Amino acid sequence: MTTCDYCDQPAMYHDVRIENGVHTTLNLCQEHATEAGISLGSIDLSIVLNVDTTFSEAQQASSCPDCGMTISQYKELSLLGCPTCYETFAEQLAHVIANVQDNQTQHVGRAPSSASDGLSRHLTVRRLLKKLEEAVTQEQYEEAAVLRDELRKLHEGGKTSDN
Amino acid sequence: MIIDPVANCPFNSDYSPCGDIVLSSRARLARNLEGFPFVHRSTVPDCKEVSSLVHQICEDDTNVLTLEWVNLDELDSLTTELFVERNLVSSALASATHPRAIAIGPELSRSVMVNEEDHIRIQSIRPGVQLEEVLQDVQELDLRIEEVIAYAFDEQLGFLTACPTNVGTGARFSVMMHLPALRIIKDLPRVQNACEGMSLAIRGYRGEGSKVVADLFQVSNQVTLGYTQEQLCDVLSNDFLPPVIEWERKARKTILELQKETLEDQTFRSLGLLQNARMLKLHEAMQCLGNLRLGICTKVIDDIELKTINQLLIEIHPSHIKWKFGKALSNEEIPSLRSKLIREKLQQ
Repeated sequence: MTTCDYCDQPAMYHDVRIENGVHTTLNLCQEHATEAGISLGSIDLSIVLNVDTTFSEAQQASSCPDCGMTISQYKELSLLGCPTCYETFAEQLAHVIANVQDNQTQHVGRAPSSASDGLSRHLTVRRLLKKLEEAVTQEQYEEAAVLRDELRKLHEGGKTSDN
Repeated sequence: MIIDPVANCPFNSDYSPCGDIVLSSRARLARNLEGFPFVHRSTVPDCKEVSSLVHQICEDDTNVLTLEWVNLDELDSLTTELFVERNLVSSALASATHPRAIAIGPELSRSVMVNEEDHIRIQSIRPGVQLEEVLQDVQELDLRIEEVIAYAFDEQLGFLTACPTNVGTGARFSVMMHLPALRIIKDLPRVQNACEGMSLAIRGYRGEGSKVVADLFQVSNQVTLGYTQEQLCDVLSNDFLPPVIEWERKARKTILELQKETLEDQTFRSLGLLQNARMLKLHEAMQCLGNLRLGICTKVIDDIELKTINQLLIEIHPSHIKWKFGKALSNEEIPSLRSKLIREKLQQ
């Protein structure tokens, strides 16, 4: 943990500047920051991270079907909710990704091996089985029936691909 | 778990290519599991399930590399902080409250953080310029994890990460450089320009948001998408490092020729302080060790090993001091014990 420049307490305030290629930094604990007249209030991360705040209201309201994340929540944290968010917010994220990735948009190089496809199916089956167990325990039989059908489909799909 | 941070340290090794300028090389891969929300949206059962899936990599006793599994919520705070000072655990992971873990390899040089910002952060650190070696280390671990886990992956965007700044390869390579002579001759802007031209970031000792201390700079790739892991490694290893190492060595030679007395004064003044002070704060001690390091590399001083300075730069941090001198130490007692440790080490 970074400590205060003036004592061994944990630093709460960090100031980093680059002038003529030289970094100067200031790290202060609560007490020394207050002494220096610095208020430790919240900072608008969208300013620091240069996040585009011009998404339309409709875009702001849409949420990820898998995790429920909205683009407004993304803007607050600069973190997405789940892998599906990349698909859900593809349009809004395109310029963010181009911006932070030096206009690169296509992955090159290593991809997970094909062995992972089988693992992926096993993982999905595992999660569905868990949900099915929960649904049966809570006597939610309609949901259990939907989950059972999904499992059957996956099972049939697996057989087809095995053949 | 029994660890000895002094015995198990990558900086104990005598093999450190270009160790006069580069203290260490590090590689990190960010990975997530398919079918799970990213960590900050995960429930406690999600985190536990991810943890138990990743834990399988420690159960394979047929593998040459044995990994020890440590649940961070069961680990005492001192050891956790010790891991933070070693860069094995991030501050964010240390202070979190959700189920999280770390799998650590021998020498505390290879590790896998579980449930950090991403489900999995694989990393390796080695002394000196060993970027290709650390890349190989993390690739081996990546393949081993892939045998038991399905990664979140997209044909266009590559490995999907919680933050879009890591998407693609999920790979971050970094080197810790000691550039005192370039600072003295005011030529650091040249390094800054080289970084900008190669999409590299230059930061302080502890990476993002940290201060520059003892002329130590961390340089890493900013872009993770659109290039292979090998290409990203190559930019740092073959495009950036060779010229910058040459600039720093040349600057050291110039200072030795034109400002020898100033260099000697700085070296022996710092040595005097380190040998005689009775209460040293971390920042002051690191600055003096940085000056001493330059003195050793320019042969102004020849009876202290560079390795001793590299080890001290780690061992003088608060948790390492507590580990050595007593776990119940208060923060006020640390400066005097820090100076005691330095005196002992420099006398050896």
